Amino acid sequence: MLTAFTRAFRTPDLRKKLLFTLGIIALFRLGSVLPTPGVHTENIALCLKDAQAGSSSNIYGMVQLFSGGALLKLSVFALGIMPYITASIILQLLVVVIPRLEALKKEGQAGQSKITQYTRYLTVGLAILQSTAFIALARSGQLFPGCQQDVLLDKDNVFSIVTMVLTMTAGTAVVMWLGEIITDRGVGNGMSILIFTQVIAVFPAELLRIAQTKGYFVFAVVMAVGIAMIALVVMVEQAQRRIPVQYAKRMVGRRMYGGTSTYIPLKVNQAGIIPVIFASSLLYLPQLVTTLFSNTQEEPNAIVQWINQNLVTGDTPVYMATFFLLIVFFTYFYVSITFNPVEVADNMKKYGGFIPGIRPGRPTAEYLSYVLSRLTAPGSLYLGLISMVPIVALALVGASQNFPFGGTSILIMVGVGLDTVKQIESQLQQRNYEGFLK
Amino acid sequence: MASIKQLFRRFLERPGSIDLAPHERVVAASRAHEERLKDLAELPAPSMDDLAEFCAIAREAADRALGLRPYDVQLVGTLAMLSGNVAEMATGEGKTLSGAIAAAGYALRGRRVHVISVNDYLARRDAEWMEPLYTALGVSVGWIGQTSTPEERRAAYERDVTYGSVSEIGFDVLRDRLRTDVADIVVPEPEVALVDEADSVLVDEARVPLVLAGATDPGDAVPEMAALVRQLVQGYHYETDDQRRNVHLTSKGIDTVERALDVELYDEPATLAEVSLALHAHALLTKDVDYIVRDGKVHLINPSRGRVALLQRWPDGLQAAVEAKEALPASETGEILDSITVQGLITRYPERCGMTGTAVAVGDELREFYDLQVAAVPPNRPIVRQDAPDRLFEFAMDRDLALVEEIVEAHSTGRPILVGTLDVAESERLAMNLSGRGLECVVLNAKNDAEEASIIAAAGERGAITVSTQMAGRGTDIRLGDGVDDLGGLYVIGSGRHTSSRLDDQLRGRAGRQGDPGGSVFFVSGEDDLITHYVSDEYTSGVPSQRLVGHAQRVAEGVNTQIHRNTWRYTRLLERQRDQVLERRGRVLRGRTAGDAMAEALPERWAEVVEAAGEDAAHASARQVVLFHLDRCWSEHLAHLAEVREGIHLRVLGRASPIDEFHKEAVTAYQRLLAEIESRSLATFETAPVTADGLDLEEEGLKRPTATWTYLVQDNPFGSEWERIAGRLASKIRRR
Repeated sequence: MLTAFTRAFRTPDLRKKLLFTLGIIALFRLGSVLPTPGVHTENIALCLKDAQAGSSSNIYGMVQLFSGGALLKLSVFALGIMPYITASIILQLLVVVIPRLEALKKEGQAGQSKITQYTRYLTVGLAILQSTAFIALARSGQLFPGCQQDVLLDKDNVFSIVTMVLTMTAGTAVVMWLGEIITDRGVGNGMSILIFTQVIAVFPAELLRIAQTKGYFVFAVVMAVGIAMIALVVMVEQAQRRIPVQYAKRMVGRRMYGGTSTYIPLKVNQAGIIPVIFASSLLYLPQLVTTLFSNTQEEPNAIVQWINQNLVTGDTPVYMATFFLLIVFFTYFYVSITFNPVEVADNMKKYGGFIPGIRPGRPTAEYLSYVLSRLTAPGSLYLGLISMVPIVALALVGASQNFPFGGTSILIMVGVGLDTVKQIESQLQQRNYEGFLK
Repeated sequence: MASIKQLFRRFLERPGSIDLAPHERVVAASRAHEERLKDLAELPAPSMDDLAEFCAIAREAADRALGLRPYDVQLVGTLAMLSGNVAEMATGEGKTLSGAIAAAGYALRGRRVHVISVNDYLARRDAEWMEPLYTALGVSVGWIGQTSTPEERRAAYERDVTYGSVSEIGFDVLRDRLRTDVADIVVPEPEVALVDEADSVLVDEARVPLVLAGATDPGDAVPEMAALVRQLVQGYHYETDDQRRNVHLTSKGIDTVERALDVELYDEPATLAEVSLALHAHALLTKDVDYIVRDGKVHLINPSRGRVALLQRWPDGLQAAVEAKEALPASETGEILDSITVQGLITRYPERCGMTGTAVAVGDELREFYDLQVAAVPPNRPIVRQDAPDRLFEFAMDRDLALVEEIVEAHSTGRPILVGTLDVAESERLAMNLSGRGLECVVLNAKNDAEEASIIAAAGERGAITVSTQMAGRGTDIRLGDGVDDLGGLYVIGSGRHTSSRLDDQLRGRAGRQGDPGGSVFFVSGEDDLITHYVSDEYTSGVPSQRLVGHAQRVAEGVNTQIHRNTWRYTRLLERQRDQVLERRGRVLRGRTAGDAMAEALPERWAEVVEAAGEDAAHASARQVVLFHLDRCWSEHLAHLAEVREGIHLRVLGRASPIDEFHKEAVTAYQRLLAEIESRSLATFETAPVTADGLDLEEEGLKRPTATWTYLVQDNPFGSEWERIAGRLASKIRRR
């Protein structure tokens, strides 16, 4: 990986792309720490310290993870890339539901760019909504429930509030643009790179905190385990079963090399990171429920008490088991949605492809789903175990939700990292040739 | 653009204009410029004043040499081309003259110009028509066609300006890449490309790479297969996809075939391939639509031009399968030797420009793929042609009846009619229907392209009915006969919308040229391929709406752009590899690299050969050996990558990007290729007998290039991950 980067830096146009991407990342980070006008920065810092010291995990865990800490700082890029991602997902779903959008999509590039344009408008709309919501929270002091400090300088000045909303909305539009130009003129997928940036942005501070509060021995152990886990994740992410496929449309001529390059790659972790995100989002629900009930002064009933004891904090066996089982379930669910053996078999049949020795159509679909189910079992266990790491770590060393080598963080880190390096390598390969008769 | 127009207007209107100068002085004026420019070590970028003055001179030259005095807008077009743009000039505005002046302008600046057009007919017509103008300006001109001999080609390429069709020039470039003797090379270094009908050449033709194939052995399609698949029933034994690009057997079909042949098909790839090919020929290729049979041979029809593509054949045994279907003797099968995309061909030229009647619609593609800007030139006289709204029908039969009615009615006034049909079969059916009504019409299609010029010349006469495929849709200039103006000019009727609105506009553009009167209308039915192939899921029955027709056309255009983009994305790397191989090949061909490498790797054998045959012969044979294996291995490399390409979309299922995966495979294969050339060359040189006359490779048979073909697959038929999820959810919701 390092050699790929050093070689990339020696290739002029790739170097330009890499530097461009790094420049955009720097800009992005700058906007993430730059406070929005009208924010009381000292008070925010105080409240943040309180929130981190307190053991209770905050409701915005996932959002906070994706915003790299920018959200609670109420910075210019507080909303980060999330509105854009949400908007893309909504538009993708709408395309299926609304015939007019479906028709547009089929018109190819021109229609697609119109849909992209709608996505951008929707992003801005979502950004207005979300920034208004967050500033309303900040104004009423609910952003940091335990903190008594005022986080806004002048919370009753309408002009100041409107300025803040506008600034955050504009910031979101800029983030969207940054993501797009990385995809366009830099390396890798812009959205992924920006999420990657935010995920690793909290690492230094978190590691430092562990070193300061737990001593250097624990720090060294955490580092060693973390690196071992990254290695493991890299290995499993690359693991795949290759099912050979042949196309029978052409006459079999003389071949210089064996025809082993046509195959269906089935990954051990076919589902990626989505099951973990689904499972953790679902486990926030009990927390939300109890928060609602705890507001009333009455004695909580038995169910709420049980939830409070077992499902709110991550260190109970019930929570761990539920989390694990949910991940396994969602892995199967997600794989069954994204990889439809019948559809794949149909497509192969349509284009004249077949698995040697197996008839096209239903036999092929059956074979594929057989192999797939064999692969998904270890894949789901792997995802579940990796995701348990931060929870176990939480219990063992008292790390916070932002624990750097958490399952989600590592999966995102490795996923985006691998994709980007692969892209750089493929661009490098296109430029470097060596051989006979130089 | 407006300022340029004003600028040279000033020149033309200034007192003492060269209008009165005798012919020779025009030439002298242009010569003087040439002399002045030749004195400079490096050519300066021409100033606008120089260009305008050149236009003034050229206008005079055209007036005197051709009797055509270019309008201001034609010279605006020339200026746009001289500054490296694609000029969009309305149909009938005299692009040929504009282009010729621009070509002469480049030639006088010391550049060699290739005027690239869509077909041989236009290339030859324009070159011969414009020759007096070029002569007057002191520029030499030549043309090449399908039938030109190598000597004629070399002579044509040596001229300042060479006219040729994109495929002819492309094939010359490809053939030159395989020469084993420097003296055989015909195409000079590329300098300026001026592309006529730019959207057709640069966009429509660009979907299909030009491929040079060498004949290997007679095709071996089994006639029994053709007989077998003829018994199969569509929908029961086999199915085709919406756009009729693919066909596959159903499980019933598999059973039937397996019983008939007594094999397990999916354990016998070779038999399966034969069945698939026979089925493809049977189900997807239609006589008189996709090909015609002439002189006992199968000829392909180019779908965007409606002409016979003489040098085109289907790949990988499909040609033989079609021949078996038509019960013709099998011709030789081809093996791909080399290929080049239109992009690869055009971007070789450091300077490029073009002209067409319909460029704005493909402006984005021209920018994306060729780095060309479109300059829209206003028409000289406003177009007065009356374009009627489409006439829409539910059934093709109703449409055909109404079409004949319309022709009968318009013909009764004596107005000339041009009917554009989508394929050969339809043009013949229509001609039969018309003769049933007692009307005589002239048919122009791929079968009688020899009479093209005379048919077009008569198409504008009073009472003429011309039925033509797309052949007449582009570049042809139909002049109106006497008194036709009063009847409303030429009436253009399209028997169906094309897959691109540009093709429709080109057909319409046959009428209403230069402010002439004229009219056009299109007849569309819900059973047209455009509707059934592209919007089958949105249209079920009833008269299709105008909006739906437009939408179908946009879908088709989107699909085609995507194919174009994919062709380019997948061949870009391949062309870069080819450039490197060619660079090495050039060094082997022109130098002594091969011999030196042999001397180093096999010193004993080298000494032996030098002793036996002399040093020159040794070098010559080393060169022959390396060139042979280099070309051989490149051809195998292409075949291998074509195979990889076919299944690469499956990689998306492992969440990998197909294009990156393809590059990875291509790069590893390329490294093996280089090693393979080396080891094979050494092996041959070690054993091959070398005499003073050199080396005899004939027995191994270097194949002569003869054929062209194309092959395309879709990149990701599954859609992105999110599309798949959304699609699944939607189908669940709808089912309930």
